[in-house]
Amino acid sequence: MSKLNASDIQGFSLRGYNLPFARFLFLHFTNAEKGRLLLTRLLPLITTGQLWDKKPDATLNIAFTHRGLVALELPLATLISFPPEFQLGMKARGTILGDVGLNAPDHWDKVWREDHVHVWLAINAQSPEALTTCFTQMQTLLEETGGATLLDFQDAGAIPIDGQFTTKEHFGYTDGFGNPDYLGVCRDTQPGQGKLMPGGTWAPLATGELLLGYADEAGELPVAPVPHLFASNGTFMVYRKLHENVGTFREFLNESGKRYGTGDDKTKEKLAAKIVGRWRDGTPVELSPDAPDAAIVNDPNRNVDFMFGQDLAGTRCPVGAHIRRTNPRDAFGFDGRLVHRRRISRRGLPYGPVAPPEDQPVDPRELDQADRGIVFMALNASLSRQFEFVQQQWISYGNDAHLGNEKDLLIGHHGEGERFGIQGDTTAANPPFFCSNLPNFVELRGGDYFFIPSITALGMLAMNLVDPR
Amino acid sequence: MSSKSGNVYGLTLLCPIIDDPGAIPSHDLQIRAHLAKLSLGPDSPFAVAPGTHLARLVVLDDVIYVGAPSCEEHLNSKYLVFESNCDGDRDSYLTGLARKIPDALDAIWSHCVGYPDDGARNIPAFLQYMKRCEIETTFFFAPVNDKTRTQTLVALRNKAYIAHFIASHQGKPPAEIQRNIGALYARLKSLPDPEPAAIQVSRKMATGGRNE
Repeated sequence: MSKLNASDIQGFSLRGYNLPFARFLFLHFTNAEKGRLLLTRLLPLITTGQLWDKKPDATLNIAFTHRGLVALELPLATLISFPPEFQLGMKARGTILGDVGLNAPDHWDKVWREDHVHVWLAINAQSPEALTTCFTQMQTLLEETGGATLLDFQDAGAIPIDGQFTTKEHFGYTDGFGNPDYLGVCRDTQPGQGKLMPGGTWAPLATGELLLGYADEAGELPVAPVPHLFASNGTFMVYRKLHENVGTFREFLNESGKRYGTGDDKTKEKLAAKIVGRWRDGTPVELSPDAPDAAIVNDPNRNVDFMFGQDLAGTRCPVGAHIRRTNPRDAFGFDGRLVHRRRISRRGLPYGPVAPPEDQPVDPRELDQADRGIVFMALNASLSRQFEFVQQQWISYGNDAHLGNEKDLLIGHHGEGERFGIQGDTTAANPPFFCSNLPNFVELRGGDYFFIPSITALGMLAMNLVDPR
Repeated sequence: MSSKSGNVYGLTLLCPIIDDPGAIPSHDLQIRAHLAKLSLGPDSPFAVAPGTHLARLVVLDDVIYVGAPSCEEHLNSKYLVFESNCDGDRDSYLTGLARKIPDALDAIWSHCVGYPDDGARNIPAFLQYMKRCEIETTFFFAPVNDKTRTQTLVALRNKAYIAHFIASHQGKPPAEIQRNIGALYARLKSLPDPEPAAIQVSRKMATGGRNE
C-alpha cells in the first residue's frame, strides 16, 4: 500500500492538529431519523485528513459510542459485530482499567456517570472567536434538525507561557512526543517514531494498528464491524478526562526532592525527570541523564530517537518511568517486537485554568481542587489489545518490566504500602531512591470508548445505508 | 536438555484420565471440580508437602484445531498434566509428597488410569506409577533459581524488610542508619523461616482483556 485515501479519513484520526483551543461536545440522539438528518448536515463540515494549504480557523470531527449507534438504529448484525469492549463501553471495563477507588464512576462528572453520551463532536480552533463561531453553528444545527441534545461540553486548550502556546501539561511536563508513524499516513517522520528494525533503523507501523480495514502488525485485519465498507478507514478512540492534583504533585516533588540526592532544586528537577523519563522541558532522560538539553528537545531527529536496551538496569531512565512503561521500545528484548502491537496514538490537550507558578506559595489543597487536568484521547485499531493492555499491564502493574506490583507513579491508582523505585548507580549525583506513601496525582473524571468512522461510513450513517448483508 | 536445573528438579507428568462412559460425572470433570476447590494458600497440599517451588495441575482434554494451515489432530486420551519445580531429586521429592499428603494425591490421581489401588500409601507402587508417567522437562518456571524453597522464601522476606528499611531511612543521618541496620540484621536473623504460600499478594486484576 502506497498512500491512504486521506479525504475519506477524518483528519483527527490521522494527525494531531496542533490547534490551541478545543471544545468537545457530548450529544444525545433523541430520535434516529432526526439524528440522521443532523449527520447529513454535519457531513460536509467534517475535517478530513487531506493536507492543508492553509490551516483552517477551526476543525470539526465526530465519533460515536456504541449506545449512539444503537440509538441510530443500526442493524443488529452490525451492532453485535463490534469488538466486545467497545460494545460494553469504558465504564463496564473499569475493573480491567483499574478505574476503582478514586477513579470509580461515582467520582466522575455527571455527564459520564449517566450513560447518555451518544456522540463526541470535537471543535479544534485557532482562536476563541473561531471556536465560538463553530460552536454557535453547531447549536443552530442542533436546533434546526432537532437531531440531538447537547448534554455537556468540555473545553480544553494549550497552555500559554510568555504569550506562546506550548505542549506543556499542568504538572509542568512538555507532552505529546513520540506518536507512532503508520504506513501510508503522510506526515514528516521522525526517527524513533515507528517500529525498530534490525540494524537500528525505524519503519512505520502497519496501517492496521491504527485504521480498520488494513493489515496490522500480525498481517491480520483488525476486529471490525460489518460491513467492511462501514469499518474501513475508521478507528477507535478512548476519551478519558484525567484530573491533575497539581498541589499534591508539587508537594510530593518538594518533599521527596529534599531526600533525593543532594536535596537541592536541581535534584528536585532530576526526580521529576526520573518519574517520567523526560525532563520537564522534554529532554529524554535516556539521552541526557544529568541535565535537560534544549538542543535535543528542539531537534525532531533526536527527541524521540532513543532505546533502552543498553540501559536494562534503568540507571539512566528508570525501568518504571512513565514513557518507558508506556513504550518500552527494545527494553523487553526481541529487537523491540513485543511492543509493535501495543502502540497508541495520543491526541490529548490540557483543560482548566493554568496553575500559578511553582515559586508562588499556594495552598496545595486549593490547587488540587481546581478543575484542571488533561483530556486524554488515544486512537487505536483495538481498544483491548492496545490501550487496555497498556493501561492494565504496563501502567497498573509491573511484571513485564520485572517490577512486580509497582505501578506508574504519575498516573497509577495507588493504594497503601506501595512504593516506586528509581534505579541509580554508585555516584553521588545519581543515587537509587524509593518513593513511598504514594499519593494519587491523577484522578479519572469520566470518559468512554468511541468509534471514529470514515467519511464514507458517516455518509452511510446519515443516509441509513449500513447494510451488513 | 534435562529435567534438572542446578539443584532444582522439573517434574512433568502426563497421566491419562480414566475414560468411563458409565461414570457420571466423568472422571475429568471430577478432577476439575476437585482442583477448582484446592486452596492456593498455606493449607494447599503442595505448600504442606516439602520442597515445592511451584506446582500446576491442568486437565488437558484435547488439542484444539485452530484452522488451516495446521492439520487436525486429537489426543488418544484426556490427560492430567502435573508440573512441579522442586528441590532435590525426583524420587525423594515424590516420596516426600506420598508421606505428607497421601490423601490429597489419591483424591486427584484416583481418577487416572493405572494409579495404584492402594494409593500413595503404597510408596513403591506410587513411585513406579509416577515415574512411568514422567516426560522430560525442558523449561522451568522463570523465577526459579538455584536456591531451595526455604532459601527463596527467606530471601523474599528479607528483601521486603530491607526495601521498607531503605524507604523509611533515606536521607537520615549515617549514625542512625548504622544503628538501625544493626537492629534490622538482628531482627532478620531471629525470625523463623516463612511458611510456604503464607505471603498472599492480593492483585485485583480482572480478566477479559487481551492479557491472559
